[in-house]
Formats: sequence, C-alpha cells, structure tokens
Amino acid sequence: MSAKQDNRNNRIDIKRVAVYALLVAICLIVGYLENYLSISLAAIIPGVKIGLSNAIVLTLIFCGDTKGAWMVNITRICLSALIFGSPISFLFSLSGGIASMITASVLSRFKSVSAIGTSIAGGAMHNIFQCFAAMIFVGVGVVKILPFLILLGAICGAFCGVLLSLILKKLKTSKVF
Amino acid sequence: MFLKKGDIVVIGSVALAFVLSFLLWLPFSKQGDRVIIKQNNKEIYSGSINKDNIITTDTNTIIIKDGVVYMDNATCKNQVCVNSGKISKKGESILCLPNKTIVTIE
Repeated sequence: MSAKQDNRNNRIDIKRVAVYALLVAICLIVGYLENYLSISLAAIIPGVKIGLSNAIVLTLIFCGDTKGAWMVNITRICLSALIFGSPISFLFSLSGGIASMITASVLSRFKSVSAIGTSIAGGAMHNIFQCFAAMIFVGVGVVKILPFLILLGAICGAFCGVLLSLILKKLKTSKVF
Repeated sequence: MFLKKGDIVVIGSVALAFVLSFLLWLPFSKQGDRVIIKQNNKEIYSGSINKDNIITTDTNTIIIKDGVVYMDNATCKNQVCVNSGKISKKGESILCLPNKTIVTIE
C-alpha cells in the first residue's frame, strides 16, 4: 500500500465528524430534557431515567458504525458529567454506558435480534453494572434494588427500542449515513 | 410487531436475570445478632440484638426491644433516622448524619 493511499484511508471524514458532533449535541439535549420526563418515574426509585440518548447511540450501531457509536457515547458521558453531574455520577454512567455498549455491539451482530431486543438487553445490562458501581461507592446493600433496576432497565430499553426501530425505518428512506 | 426470534431469547434471559437477582436478597434477609452503634467513627456500643436495652448518647436515643432496633429520639432537624423505622436484618442500618451516629446490625 502506498503512503498516499494510507493517508487517504486515515483521513478524517468531515461529514462524519459533523454527524458525530450533531449526535452528541442531540444526546446531551435529550438527556437534559428527560430529567423533566422522568420526574414521575423518580417517585419509584430516585434517579431513574428513560435513557433516550441510548436510542441515538444505538441508531449509529444499527447503521453499521460501532466505532462511531463508542466515540459518541463516551463523549456524551464525559460532557454530560461535566455539565450536569459530579465525579461519582460520571463513574456511574461510564460503567453503565460501557456495559450497555458492549452488549449492544455484540447483539447487533446477530441477525435474529432486532433493535428492540438489543435495546432491552442494553438497558438491563446498563442498570446491572450501574448497580455494581453503586455497591462499591454506596455499600453492598444496594444489591437489594437490583431486581427492580433490571425490570426498569428492560422497560425503558423496550421504549427506546420501539423508538429506535421507528428512527431506523425513517432513516432507510434518507441518506444521512 | 417488530419482534424477531432472537428477541424472545433476549427477553427470556433478561426475565431470568430478574428472577435470579432476587436470590441476592438471601444473604441480607438473615436475622442479625449484634447491634453496633458508632458515633464520630468511634464504636460506643456493641451488644446482642436479643438483649433489650436503651442506649442514650448526647444527641440520640436508640432502643433495642424484642429483636428489633429503632431510633427513638434525635436532636437533629430532619429526623430522617427516627423516621427510618425498625431494623432487625443483617446489614441493615440507621444513619443520623447530622449527629454522625450510625446504627448497624451484623
């Protein structure tokens, strides 16, 4: 391979960068807005969120850009911790984010698992690993709420999954990716 | 609707995880045997949960009666510890942050 070709392959695609930046911005706004959406949910367990930004990251995965999805999600987690959160909330969302990303990256490779299934598994895994993080910082007793966290993660994941399949349907007719 | 075969496997395993996670409650549902009270990080009381007792510190009153422990009285404003009810299981605790008092069961 010549040096010129190599250079071309590694060139940063400006359109892609713009799309990633746009998606990070959407994630942050959606993450902020869902604070208001989830006030009624927070009455059950404090701090429960639907995780709408997951639908956006999963869109990228299902469009075949897993690497981009990782970049967008890690950037989103760092930025939202800087803007809205604290060091501990950063570690919580990082552990949950990485767990759900691994799950989604693996499951999206299976043809027989649809967007909804991937989203449900991702939501559940997110909450499981967030609970493990909480066990380190808060205490082992947190494990008691794990069943409810799994259930809520699955329900919120299903909601995001339906949203995701609607987004994917629309995207098929456009040429954004 | 949009569901495929693999989704049923995924939903099934999440449901299984939900059921299995209740097993994690078991280590916490054992009846405790010792009550330990700490104030300012120093242990000020340690005793059996079955021995009825009333422990009074400068700020808090803790009552051990019939195998359950509760905070009867506290000088703090928020009264979270008084309202947190009775504890008797291993690993449970009552915290009074304003007075730096912790009641745990082991």
